[in-house]
Amino acid sequence: MAEAEHEVEVNGTEAEDDAQEEDIKQKKQTRHDGGAADLERVTDYAEEKEISAANISSAVEQFGNQRSKENELRVAKEKELQKVQVKKEDIELIMNELLVTKAQAEKVLREQSGNVVAALEAIISN
Amino acid sequence: MPSSDPLPPKEGALFRKLLKCYEMKQYKNGLKLAKQILSNPKYTEHGETLAMKGLTLNGLGRREEAYKYVRLGLRNDLRSHVCWHVYGLLQRSDKKYDEAIKCYRNALKWEKDNLQILKDLSLLQIQMRDLEGYKETRHHLFTLRPSQHASWIGFAMSYHLLGDHVMANNILETFSQSQTSIEAHDYRHSELLLYQNQILIESAYLQQALDHLLKYETQIVDKLAVRETMGDLYIKLQQHDKAVAIYEALIRRNPENVLYYEQYMLARQVSAPSDIVAVYREFQAQYPRALCPRRLPLNIAQGAEFTTVADEYLRRGLRKGIPPLFVNVRTLHQDSQKAATIESLTLQYFENLTRSGHFSREDADAGLPVEPASALVWTALFLAQHYDYMRDTNRALEYINVAIDHTPTLIELLITKGRIFKHAGDPVEAYVWLDEAQSMDTADRYINSKCAKYMLRANMVTEAEEICAKFTREGVSAMDNLNEMQCMWFQTECAIAFQRMERWGESLKKCHEVDRHFSEIIEDQFDFHTYCMRKMTLRAYVGLLRLEDVLRKHPFYFKAARCAIEVYIHLYDKPLKSEATIEEIDIENLPPSELKKLRSKQRKAKKKAELESAQAQQAQVKREQHQKSKQTANQETDPDAPQLDELIPEKLERTDEPLEKAIDFLKPLQQLAKERIETHLLAFEVYYRKNKLLLMLQSIQRARALDATHPVVHSSIIRFMKALSIARKQQAFNEHVQQVLDKATKELIGSKTPQQLNDEFIAKHHATSILHLYEGARGMYELDPSKKQAAIKFITGFKLDKLRLEDAIKIYTALRDGDVFGECEQEAENYKLACQERFQYARIFRNVEELEAQLLAKEAAKLRAEQEQQMNHLDTNEITFNTSNNVGVKLNWINC
Repeated sequence: MAEAEHEVEVNGTEAEDDAQEEDIKQKKQTRHDGGAADLERVTDYAEEKEISAANISSAVEQFGNQRSKENELRVAKEKELQKVQVKKEDIELIMNELLVTKAQAEKVLREQSGNVVAALEAIISN
Repeated sequence: MPSSDPLPPKEGALFRKLLKCYEMKQYKNGLKLAKQILSNPKYTEHGETLAMKGLTLNGLGRREEAYKYVRLGLRNDLRSHVCWHVYGLLQRSDKKYDEAIKCYRNALKWEKDNLQILKDLSLLQIQMRDLEGYKETRHHLFTLRPSQHASWIGFAMSYHLLGDHVMANNILETFSQSQTSIEAHDYRHSELLLYQNQILIESAYLQQALDHLLKYETQIVDKLAVRETMGDLYIKLQQHDKAVAIYEALIRRNPENVLYYEQYMLARQVSAPSDIVAVYREFQAQYPRALCPRRLPLNIAQGAEFTTVADEYLRRGLRKGIPPLFVNVRTLHQDSQKAATIESLTLQYFENLTRSGHFSREDADAGLPVEPASALVWTALFLAQHYDYMRDTNRALEYINVAIDHTPTLIELLITKGRIFKHAGDPVEAYVWLDEAQSMDTADRYINSKCAKYMLRANMVTEAEEICAKFTREGVSAMDNLNEMQCMWFQTECAIAFQRMERWGESLKKCHEVDRHFSEIIEDQFDFHTYCMRKMTLRAYVGLLRLEDVLRKHPFYFKAARCAIEVYIHLYDKPLKSEATIEEIDIENLPPSELKKLRSKQRKAKKKAELESAQAQQAQVKREQHQKSKQTANQETDPDAPQLDELIPEKLERTDEPLEKAIDFLKPLQQLAKERIETHLLAFEVYYRKNKLLLMLQSIQRARALDATHPVVHSSIIRFMKALSIARKQQAFNEHVQQVLDKATKELIGSKTPQQLNDEFIAKHHATSILHLYEGARGMYELDPSKKQAAIKFITGFKLDKLRLEDAIKIYTALRDGDVFGECEQEAENYKLACQERFQYARIFRNVEELEAQLLAKEAAKLRAEQEQQMNHLDTNEITFNTSNNVGVKLNWINC
């Protein structure tokens, strides 16, 4: 129990900024006498009153689905890129000739399906 | 997840107290508590306590100890999210954001749903513009706490920043529907509605945006924003009638907003110049005191109509004595016809004012009352400024002298006289006049700053600092104070002055200082991530984020960066020798008499250096004291701002990698100032020296895309081709690189040889443009150094009277320094003599002896004048009193 409490406290306390963030009025009151944990509870309470529970759950679900769809797309795209075979020497050539970082060189090379000439031209004409 | 190393109840309570103390900034108490816990023999190694002790020490500004303890704590308890979080906070306070993000991520490994860590992480992600990561974290927070306002707002914003307006709008829409009761005049709610509206407009759902605005109009507190947005939407949605009414009301509210008039014209759908002018006439009648309806028609009107409106506008301004009247109409001078009209009008005023005191003969004939006596002075000033703009120095001086004779105490006149000399190429004479002006009103900061700037143009850095010291904080050196105040115009002008004086290190120091200001401004946005979310000022917040993204686009940065790049390039071309070698070489090669001179010079220099270093040391001590006092003073606000390396000129100018340093300054320009051709021309210079052919090509292509006819683009191509052929001879290219180069050069010059290209270029621009001819001649010499004489002849043979001063200076310095065409002292001297006649005021073309004699004569004259003045003290006193009284009213006007 003591430990659990301890955890909560840690979260709250280091969040001194957050405490301020919530509400000016409360901040004034609690600046001298309050702990951040109390403060966080107070603000939670005030806000819950404004949002009705029914709307939230559906919304949360809906946005969650939307996001997982986005993630799938992104992962698929990344996978596609990772499939491209790139040669180490090509990456080094691009880095050396155009003074770009390895990550940049690799990304462009993958986007150009591993074609060095196309990658070089892409960076130049970018 | 419970802590991996739990404390017993007593210590646990102490630990909680310790956290509270940290939060309340009672660092000393916190340290005592930590000591208490650690004094228990069982817990001397307790990780979380050690980490918190470190963080508390950081609060006291003891950074090194802080790192020691936090690291120790972390080592003792690697599985504690508290330790990782603390380490992250420490890194964050040290501005090591990348490291801090890693720490937070580790902390989240042990406690993946910790709200506070997630919030801290999201702050860093937005600061570093890891927008995908920000979205991820914001979504996590949203699923954890869907009941909090901030969760929704942050979640929506993460989509908005990534450009997914639809999703952002959906989130906000759902959120606002779930809100049941709204208090009246709820500012935060109102801002949120406007933010949502902004998202709709940005996603081009204009009808939806309008509907949204109409629906919530009553709930929005910012009425002005509603009106302005609505008016704009009506115009875009072709509902002009409604827009007209809105803009009429807005103009009534503020008749000095240029945008309103433009929108109003759009709404009224008037486009013919004379119709627009007629509309402005209506507004003039309606708002007789407003300036906009009088000034704006000048941009639109043409021909005879322009003459009429300009006549009215100028008379009004001159009668009232509005000092910035010329600046106000200067943009019209871009149109040569309008400039001519303005010239003839003001000449006519001047003539008639001198004759009868009226602006025109008609006024005199009609027996109208005469204009105020001051109108003549302001007209003469206007004419001087006009001819200065036209670079007709002699006539400008003629008019300004008339004005000064009339009213010798009017500061504007002296400033203008200085400015005329500046434009004529004599920064020293210019400074003299500004100094005079400054001495007449030492309490005016504007003239003080102007004077400092002119001093810097005349390479008088110490004097400029002294002048500025009149307005900087006492007890600190002006230079330091101006740096602290981020006074960038001053620092950039200093950098450029040092560059002219070839004090490279000091110049670089100033450039780096400016660069640091920009970094600091970017750092400063950190606090706004929490503040703006709390205050719900989201429109302004998004505006801030977008501004910070392109901050180094600012002209201030461009100017400083250009100076730094130029200096670094110079240091690459002509590296400084180490001090010891300079002496050796000099002594070996000099005849005895010269040696003697040199010795005395060296002695003087040494003395000066010693003096300077002593002063520098004193300043250093002062600075440290200042720093200390500052630290103790605002320990609460930012005790742990990281100390940057001190910028030492001697080190900066002897860098081992000048080109890399130049690239550091170049990169932001390439990214943010790509619409300026100079960026790419500078880039070419750097990559040319790095011998990176593909990057040279990139710079040329970018420059060409902006302006293919720019003269420097041509010589860059020639130099590129030459570098290409040299590189090819040295070593075979990688086949891929070869392929790219072949294709690109073909696009660049087709099948022509560089020689052909250059010949054609010269033939084309031969008689029309000196700048093109100069670059052509440069190419000629570059391709075949034996044609040196011909190349020089080409440019020196160009008719001088078609030359602008800047161009002449460029050519002369190129010849004098010998770095473009090789040594050509004689030609440079001849050219200088020729230019002397053409540009009689330009200091650069004059002889040093002549200048010195002039200076002596001037000082003698000044002395004499002072003596005379003392003799006539009483009389003059009276006169100046009267005249200054006369203009006093107007001066007040300026100071406002």
